[in-house]
Amino acid sequence: MNTLVTQPKSQKKIDLQRFLEPYLYLSPALIIIALVIITPTLVGISYAFQSIELLNPFNGGWIGLTHFKTLFSDRYFFSALANTLDWTLISLFFQFSLGLGLALLLNRKFAGRKLVQALVFLPWAVPTFLSGLTWAWLFNPIIGILPHWMTSLGMLPEPYNILSDPHLAMYGPIVANVWFGIPFFAITLLAALQSVPSDLYEAAGIDGASSWQVFVKITLPFLAPMIAITVMLRTIWIANFADLIIVMTSGGPANSTQTLPSYIFTTAYRRLDFGYASAMAVMLLILLLLYTAILLKMRSKLSNGD
Amino acid sequence: MSIIVFTNFLKSVAHRFAILLYLVFALFPLYWLLKIAVTPDKLLYSEGVKLWPSEFTWVNFELVFTQSEFPTFFMNSAIVSSATALLTTLIAAAAGYAFCRFKFRGKLIITGLLLVTQMFPLVMVLAPIYKIMAPLGLTNSLLGLVIIYTAFNVPFAVFLMQSFFDGIPRDLEESAMVEGCSRFQALYKVIIPLTLPGMAATLGFVFTAAWSEMLFALMLISDSSVSTFPVGLLNFVSKFAVQWGQMMAAGVLALIPACIFFVFIQRYLVQGLTAGAVKG
Amino acid sequence: MRKILFCSLLSLSIASTLALADTKLKLVEVITSPDRTAVLRQQVADFEANNPGITVEITSLPWGQAFEKLATMVQSGQTPDVVEMPDSWQGLYASNDMLVDLEGRIAASGLEEKLTDKTLAMARNTGGKANMIPYGFYLRAMFWNKKIFAQAGMTEAPKTMAEFVEASKKIKALGTGVSGYCLRGGVGGTNGWMMFMAAMRGSPEFFDEQGNSLLSDPESIKGAQFLVDLYKNGHAPRDSVNWGFNEIVSGFYSGKCAMLDQDPDALISIAKSMNSEDFAVAPMPLGPSGKAYPTIGYTGWSIFKQSENKDSSWKLISHLTSPEENLTWAKKIGVLPIHKGAEKNAFFSTEQYSGWFEELNNPNYIPLTMPTHLKGWGYFGSVMAKDSSQEALLGMISTEKMVEDWAAYLTKEQQAWMKTQ
Repeated sequence: MNTLVTQPKSQKKIDLQRFLEPYLYLSPALIIIALVIITPTLVGISYAFQSIELLNPFNGGWIGLTHFKTLFSDRYFFSALANTLDWTLISLFFQFSLGLGLALLLNRKFAGRKLVQALVFLPWAVPTFLSGLTWAWLFNPIIGILPHWMTSLGMLPEPYNILSDPHLAMYGPIVANVWFGIPFFAITLLAALQSVPSDLYEAAGIDGASSWQVFVKITLPFLAPMIAITVMLRTIWIANFADLIIVMTSGGPANSTQTLPSYIFTTAYRRLDFGYASAMAVMLLILLLLYTAILLKMRSKLSNGD
Repeated sequence: MSIIVFTNFLKSVAHRFAILLYLVFALFPLYWLLKIAVTPDKLLYSEGVKLWPSEFTWVNFELVFTQSEFPTFFMNSAIVSSATALLTTLIAAAAGYAFCRFKFRGKLIITGLLLVTQMFPLVMVLAPIYKIMAPLGLTNSLLGLVIIYTAFNVPFAVFLMQSFFDGIPRDLEESAMVEGCSRFQALYKVIIPLTLPGMAATLGFVFTAAWSEMLFALMLISDSSVSTFPVGLLNFVSKFAVQWGQMMAAGVLALIPACIFFVFIQRYLVQGLTAGAVKG
Repeated sequence: MRKILFCSLLSLSIASTLALADTKLKLVEVITSPDRTAVLRQQVADFEANNPGITVEITSLPWGQAFEKLATMVQSGQTPDVVEMPDSWQGLYASNDMLVDLEGRIAASGLEEKLTDKTLAMARNTGGKANMIPYGFYLRAMFWNKKIFAQAGMTEAPKTMAEFVEASKKIKALGTGVSGYCLRGGVGGTNGWMMFMAAMRGSPEFFDEQGNSLLSDPESIKGAQFLVDLYKNGHAPRDSVNWGFNEIVSGFYSGKCAMLDQDPDALISIAKSMNSEDFAVAPMPLGPSGKAYPTIGYTGWSIFKQSENKDSSWKLISHLTSPEENLTWAKKIGVLPIHKGAEKNAFFSTEQYSGWFEELNNPNYIPLTMPTHLKGWGYFGSVMAKDSSQEALLGMISTEKMVEDWAAYLTKEQQAWMKTQ
């Protein structure tokens, strides 16, 4: 063995190590995701092209795009799609703006801050089933106080249950969802806020910048990556989130709160038509992919523009 | 000068008032939960809209402790949630670091893949997962739940950890490496301490997500000795009656560990970074 | 040598206990509640004590998710031996040929003589062969709030549908915001629609001989319109369009509405929250034909075909449905028992139960059996009927449109079923 030979070899080894290192860090995540999520998802997607009805187990088999053709003439599908849009955008808007507000409020020293932090984050820890039931109680005029308060405030003509009114019912699960989701944005944004170097603020303070200027010029840019990722993920989650709706209104009255995921749930586990349910799930997947692609494109354009 | 003092005073009053509003919004439904738990059954409907019942009782809490299997359920939930939180945070920290500090082939595809895992409705993957887990003996076990929860929480946790790593200036570890640390040492000695708040946040998220998860826990577990507490809650809802008092009592009790957990991770959340550490 | 002998004896004894303990039955309870699970566990423990070598593992599914959970278990091959089978699922599992035919065992055990005719008819509801042993019946009757009726100047429950509307008008005229009828517009409301439609039609039949649904004939439409008008005229609470079981019962307790159609099992929870002198139970109101058709429901025990322990499973079912056990069960969970002569038991001859027994004994009340033999009945009841009846109540579609959709779906289902017979 002479050094001339080993030298490039070990150099190669180092190169290989360099090349492999990121994959090494990634491998546990990738393996578990591939086994537990990707494989079942592929199986789930394959249902969309098959006839899988538990009610008619003998009609199985591949049927191509039949489900997708049915889908385009299904009026419930389109109303569910519109409802999903309302549900997602309204929930997201309030969760985000109220969550950011809370993070800013908490990013300041005051007596009892620890206690307040622990308490305002509690809604996130309540199982959605329980929070759905609790909010349904609160909206029920027999056993809940909200309709009475809303009537006193002039928001309702008489104390009735907004969950029974097709024009208002969607706001019930939305309020519950906002309540549940504020802590998410508050925690992530607060953690990000606390990694803003304080000398930046000090410098701004010396320059005599107004607090709005500080917010726009320093805080926001620092938060931007976190905002981008949390808003994107949260949109996907909310769009896919059916628990509160199923518990509080089960899509009613008259389908007025039926979103795509709740319709998918009903189709799969009430009609036992897994094929059609999967076709709708695939449509939802495609729409969400489009949304993320657009968002990522915008993000990279923005960061290129900087 | 006094004007400044006065506006500062006004500002802090407004600040406290805003905090108070948030507190009321966050806690009122939970207060209602507690109210139902301490209301005797016969007053549940007749005094439904009162802010506090005319009589109150601890009997529901007693029943939950003595008559139900809730102590077991809480134990199971605690085991599953802590194991999931630890495992997920470790896996995600490693992956998030790779995402942040390396350029490598397939990065975009892997990012896309992580995102896609969040887009397909869970109800549609339930049956295939059940089929995979059943022959492995993971359908009636806490380990099975830990594996599934970890898998579904990892993607978000990776993004979260990545953005925390992103917030740490690159030259910090580079200078450490110049000073003779290996990359791993630099990670361990310099970066990890700085991402503790981020890790705490991740831990908190995953813990609560696992703590309150119901769909998989319901579908995969049928033996009550390995049930988690959200599924236990469902047993109070029968076809012909709902045992509201006991259910809400169990719900209130379930909030206590979550509350303790939040207080525990406070330190790290609030700690943040000192200006000096970041200057590098 | 001794050692070897000892060891072989030991292993033999282990093997034999293993062989004895070999039979492990899986039983799935689906209409779970803590009280009821306790009774079931007690009865199963007695069974295990009398049958050494058989152990029973009880899985109690929460009712709200039981359907999808059992479907998932069956779909992935984790099929239980014995399952609690509600009438609304019987058609699905029976027509997929998943349930054991129990006729031979019924004949061999002489059950035919002991069970009431109605029980046997229900057991054979899907396709003529018994595939479950019902453990009890639910029958609809009208709970009415005596206090509210007294305020409105009435002392008796309405006997006919016309009186029903009159009573509702008087209650509304009180001006206290109380309505007459606790309408169930949400999940589980199908029974109400079917009862009023049958009462107007004057027939308990759902189909003609060709399998065409009778729900869209003009008389049936009047029955549906009756409920829609009731709601539109304010004789049911505005919120009731989305009410499920919990809401109608709490509406009744709290005096938000004065009349409620429910099964005997609701008696248990209502009696807990109301004074017994404040309410009573009357038969369902009679239609123009002089007859009423309260819906009858049932739940029982079935054995899955995939079970490897069919004989032991049958033993267990026989134990659970034996006269003494069944009587205990029926009292505890609020169903009407299945054995001949059981209604003579003191418990059921109280005034509380008189409304139901009048329905059973008076020829003007004909129990209405839902077409649960149809595979799609569960879906029809829990999704289709709920969605479109809410649309009709809210005036988004006409009653005719709703009823025609129902008839079309049920005709298709019935004709598909007839083909397999």
